[in-house]
Amino acid sequence: MKFTSIYLSRILGNKILSQEYQIIGKLIDLAVTNDLQNPRVVAAKVDTRDGIKHLSWQFFAVNKQRGQYRMTCSKIDEVPTENMLYLKRSIVDRQIIDVNGRKVVRVNDVRLVLLASGFFVVAVDIGTEGLFRRLGIAKPLMRLGIKIPAKLLLWQDVETVFTPNENIVLSKTYNKLSTLHPSDLADIIEDFDTKTGIALFSGLGKEKSADVLEEMEEEAQLKVLENLDTEKAADILEEMPADEVADILDGLREDKAEELLNEMEKEASEEVRELMEYDEELVGSLMTTDVVSFRSDYTVEKTISTLRELKPDEEQIYYIFVTNIRNRLIGTVSLRDIVISQPNVTLKSLIHKDFVYMKDSDRIDELIKVISKYNLFAIPIVNEQMNLVGAVIINDVMFELNKKH
Amino acid sequence: MKLKKKSWFTNLIIFLSILGPGIITGSVDNDAGGITTYSVAGALFGYRLLWTLIPSFIVLLIVQEMNARMGIVTGKGLADLIRENFGVKITFFISIGLLITNIGNTTTEFAGVAGSMQIFGVSKYISVPISAVFVWFLVVKGTYHSVEKIFLIFSVFLLTYLVSAVLAKPDWTNIGLALVTPSFEFSTGYLSIVIGLIGTTIAPWMQFYMQSAVIEKGIKIEEYKYEVWDVVVGCIATIVVAFFIMVACGATLYQKGIQINSAKDAALALEPLAGAFASELFAFGLFVASVFAATILPLATAFYICEAFGFESGVDKKLKEAPEFYTFFTGTIIISIAIILIPKAPLIPITIWSQVINGILLPVILISMIILVNKKEIMGDYVNNRFKNSISWLTIIILIVLAFILVIEPLLN
Repeated sequence: MKFTSIYLSRILGNKILSQEYQIIGKLIDLAVTNDLQNPRVVAAKVDTRDGIKHLSWQFFAVNKQRGQYRMTCSKIDEVPTENMLYLKRSIVDRQIIDVNGRKVVRVNDVRLVLLASGFFVVAVDIGTEGLFRRLGIAKPLMRLGIKIPAKLLLWQDVETVFTPNENIVLSKTYNKLSTLHPSDLADIIEDFDTKTGIALFSGLGKEKSADVLEEMEEEAQLKVLENLDTEKAADILEEMPADEVADILDGLREDKAEELLNEMEKEASEEVRELMEYDEELVGSLMTTDVVSFRSDYTVEKTISTLRELKPDEEQIYYIFVTNIRNRLIGTVSLRDIVISQPNVTLKSLIHKDFVYMKDSDRIDELIKVISKYNLFAIPIVNEQMNLVGAVIINDVMFELNKKH
Repeated sequence: MKLKKKSWFTNLIIFLSILGPGIITGSVDNDAGGITTYSVAGALFGYRLLWTLIPSFIVLLIVQEMNARMGIVTGKGLADLIRENFGVKITFFISIGLLITNIGNTTTEFAGVAGSMQIFGVSKYISVPISAVFVWFLVVKGTYHSVEKIFLIFSVFLLTYLVSAVLAKPDWTNIGLALVTPSFEFSTGYLSIVIGLIGTTIAPWMQFYMQSAVIEKGIKIEEYKYEVWDVVVGCIATIVVAFFIMVACGATLYQKGIQINSAKDAALALEPLAGAFASELFAFGLFVASVFAATILPLATAFYICEAFGFESGVDKKLKEAPEFYTFFTGTIIISIAIILIPKAPLIPITIWSQVINGILLPVILISMIILVNKKEIMGDYVNNRFKNSISWLTIIILIVLAFILVIEPLLN
């Protein structure tokens, strides 16, 4: 199959001729539609004598003559400009996401390929060669025998991001980003300016946004919440563990935090409000309230089937907390003991009674000592009446220690 | 949402938390090059050039306010905006210009370090390498917030010039008169000093620094009016320090007809006239200003260039992850100290050429700025209004004319 590969910078500004070799105008930009795997050029933005026109690409042909690309247009057919992406305006010189490299890069040029079936975008150029090509010094330097590093990213491996006030489709889904880890996404969003970052964040979907928000630096979290509309922000916060939410809201202005809490579902917001009342030096402010506990009269069989239903996170079942009828903590059971026991045995006979626990009103520095002394993954937290109110997971402790150093 | 009228106390607290970008930019502006120019101006013309400080103040304020506003509204650095709106060629030109002037400026800063420490009897072969290492570690190991605090303290040290000036026992009535009476003199010496004064006050790198600092600090649009006050305070700081340096030199060196070529000469010459203490304070101020500027300039320039070309940047990255960033930053420091430490290095041509490039760069940057700040798709409701636009254009035209003379003049001599 015959094909020609063309860089956008090599054809922008070139003259467009009619079939009678009359000059129609100069090429300003190329518009593509994004419905296929590779964007296809559908229109050319041309500076003609009668002003700027958007012409259908269908009637264009590109030839290479003496090292220069020449474009001819057999029919002047103006097309509407909706739902199109302009390459020079929105891609070249802009920041985009390198999905494989998990970072933000700047586009120096766009590489297209001319096939019988159409003119397609195949890659973006982010290397020094692209930069020098734009400056018009790539070829002379290469003739001198100087090697210039080139770097191209396939279109499939990049994700474009737009600042909201450009007149392009406002809500965009970022499918290519779904494979990225939330902490990488958090870094990427922090690399963009606030507006663009927020636009990107909003396009992620509720659950993913919640994971990403959790991974962000405190300052960036606040920026996101301050700039997102209240309803959307509340939806995302509902997806997050209450202790994380309480931490974030603590940093916000009081009226803004109140606004968000009021917008959240009652059940979720009440949990957060309770946590926010703890002094930040107390265990209560660090604990998670998402704990899995079972009454002591449960059988092993019933426990396992309940666990299957609940599908708790790994960190929630390092230890299984066991309570009596009045929700007082009476012991812990390890997952191992449950797995190796007969189905009809009750939890009561399996519990370790000499377990370690702490009160929500204890100080965090003491908690850290206890956790490291006993090498615990998680520790149950009770109130004055011995009621189970939450747990502290080792991850949260690590985070707390990190913050201090 | 309820809108309560804030008490003056709440306002003050918010203002203090916003304070930083403007004041730091204003203080770095009084770097070794600035101090030299002010000293020379005071020694040569006494109080006659004091009036230039008032128009300088206005121009500085207008330009810096635009930068602060652009930073707050777009969240993007100036280099970023220029690249996205004007393309590679202009960006490349500006970057190369910034890189070269940056080496020139940083060299001047280390010359300031060397000169000021010589007054205290410390050899430049000791003071320059030690301060270079200090600068490098401060930048690589510090965070924006810790560095900002150190810099705010630095800024206070610049007030030592106030003490030097008072010790010189100047005639305050004459000073007051000179401040409001513009005097013109069409000699090359006079004109070149006037241009030098304005050129050192409005340097190209400042526009980039101001805008980035506002973003780095995360200032929001609701806090814009406080940021304007930060800019005002910063501009006042620049002008006040310049004022006292000119007064200190005008009251002593000018009266005795002593000619100087550098800030170090000024400090030395002050000793017999205003006492050893005044001289040492002057040298100490020079030292602080030089270290201060030597910290910010190379770092800031490395940032802008990487930002514009999409290279990885940031002091939290490893050398392998951000090779360009570290090359620009460390390279500038190494080249600068090499120029200082090599005997008989051509310091004066370097200063002149970096001044010329500054002069070429300034109009390009200012015109880019005013186009950007008027683009509705970038600035939304915060585009310049007609009043701001007419002052800005007037300012820019005046600066362009001055910059043009600034470029032509050393080439003629």
